[in-house]
Amino acid sequence: MEIPTLRDGRSRLLIQLILLGILAGVLYSSTPPSAWPWLGERLSTFATVFLGIFIEALPFLLMGTLASGLVEVFVSDDWLARITPRGALPAALTGALLGLIFPICECGTVPLTRRLFRKGLPLSAGIAFLLAAPVLNPIVIFSTATAFGWGRMLFWRLGFSLLIAVSVGLAFSVEKDADNIMRSSKFAFELPVIDIPPADQSFIQKLRRSMIVSADDFFDMGRYLVLGASIAALLQTFIPQTTLLAVGNGPILSVLVMMGLAVLLSICSTVDAFIALGFVGTFSFGSVLSFLVFGPMVDIKSILMFQQVFRRKPVLYLVLLPFLMSLLAGLAFNYFF
Amino acid sequence: MSLRIYRILQAFIVLALCSFLLDKLLSGKLSLYINIRYAPLTVFGIVVLAMMALALFREPKTDHDHQDSNQEHKHNASTRALIILFVPLLITVLIPSHPLDASAASTRGMNVSTPLIGSSSQTRQFEAAADTRNILDWIRIFNSGSAPTPYLGQTAKVTGFVYHDPRLPANQFIVSRFVITCCAADASAIGMIVTWDQSSTLEESAWIAVKGPVQSAELGGQPIPLIEAVLVQPVQQPPQPYLYP
Repeated sequence: MEIPTLRDGRSRLLIQLILLGILAGVLYSSTPPSAWPWLGERLSTFATVFLGIFIEALPFLLMGTLASGLVEVFVSDDWLARITPRGALPAALTGALLGLIFPICECGTVPLTRRLFRKGLPLSAGIAFLLAAPVLNPIVIFSTATAFGWGRMLFWRLGFSLLIAVSVGLAFSVEKDADNIMRSSKFAFELPVIDIPPADQSFIQKLRRSMIVSADDFFDMGRYLVLGASIAALLQTFIPQTTLLAVGNGPILSVLVMMGLAVLLSICSTVDAFIALGFVGTFSFGSVLSFLVFGPMVDIKSILMFQQVFRRKPVLYLVLLPFLMSLLAGLAFNYFF
Repeated sequence: MSLRIYRILQAFIVLALCSFLLDKLLSGKLSLYINIRYAPLTVFGIVVLAMMALALFREPKTDHDHQDSNQEHKHNASTRALIILFVPLLITVLIPSHPLDASAASTRGMNVSTPLIGSSSQTRQFEAAADTRNILDWIRIFNSGSAPTPYLGQTAKVTGFVYHDPRLPANQFIVSRFVITCCAADASAIGMIVTWDQSSTLEESAWIAVKGPVQSAELGGQPIPLIEAVLVQPVQQPPQPYLYP
């Protein structure tokens, strides 16, 4: 196997992080547990939390990359561009509601969004899809309803997610040139996999090709899952949750704390409603709502995946705009309802 | 690196991840990491990864037709991605896995007031015979909103690990379990106070069974069940160390 070339700083950092992890593992297994009890305990907690996030999220990432592979092979290049409405607002609305057809959570939306962009989906629709699909899809609606009932929490969660996704989508529609938003792709997924024109391929050949596309997407996004899960697990292992919760009083701070927790926990949107349920007694309605609205749009994994697809400034907007709007939504409920 | 080798390397890693999940599933260790309710998702993942590996192994037939320097360059760049997906495998092999314990409870905090309502077994805690209730059932009774008076004095028989909470006097400790809704990332520790004169002899994180009448107490301003222990015995760690709401 070849040693990877260390070109840009980000990938160098990745390699260093891994080497550090291996070193820590070797150090731990080569010293008697009694010598490093504190570190040993922490390391084992870290491993458990990391593997927990990884094992839970892996099937969802696979669902997203499978969808991406199928779209690549079975959706013709201009079909999406033809069926999406022309105007920015209708396009953004369509994008936001596209999640009802593609039931995936936030690990899967990023690879699928990139694929949809390549299939001619307008920018505003793609961004709205990226932010709304993790919430506005049948699985998440069902799990939220199971946790909170068919009541106002579900209603406002869906409403604010739609509102934020469409507004951010509209904000992005100002930019006409997608190349200013997207990173140029430099990885293997551009390769022609089989040199037969798509029309001449049999169904089985097409399926096999979609599998290869999925695999390339999986490797492309999987490393951000690994990295995101390790950062989230590290933070959880060394920063006591109790300090965060102890700070979280008052109408403003409690919203901020719940949003911070959403980023920190990095849990899948399909199950976050059950987690949020655990905070209902301690936190106000507005704070829990902001947790449920902001968490699926932005967390450690998704920020890392955004960076792979979008340029730096768009990533900043993709994090900041939902942050501010979810904050406002939470504050509105804490003060006026 | 040629496309063929690249694809085979990819297939190898996908297969490794697939067997990693399969091993966790078959050995029962899956329940250390996620709520077993989501095991079907893991099965789905295993199937997809196996299909992916198969497609990748069979792929490189038409390989040398399109190989130019540009593509070689692309492969070099994405070799990094391949290596990073080895990290979860390294972590499983290098770091011995054991369930979250008292040291994790001390960072994550003891959750005495979690209003865990859960989707299933909403009424189980009230109907079950007193000595079959687990720690979660007792916590639910104390958090149900109505006074736990009818349940006071009943004999509880629960299993959990020892957690010496710094807020408690020397003759008390907490018998605790982790509750997992989705995966280990959302684990929260719950527990009942145990009054026992030999409390200080118990080792942190040791698994025990406690038997005794239940009373009501307070910890950090929250109501919490308290067991006046008649019997405390060491037990084996249960096969499923966590409780699932």
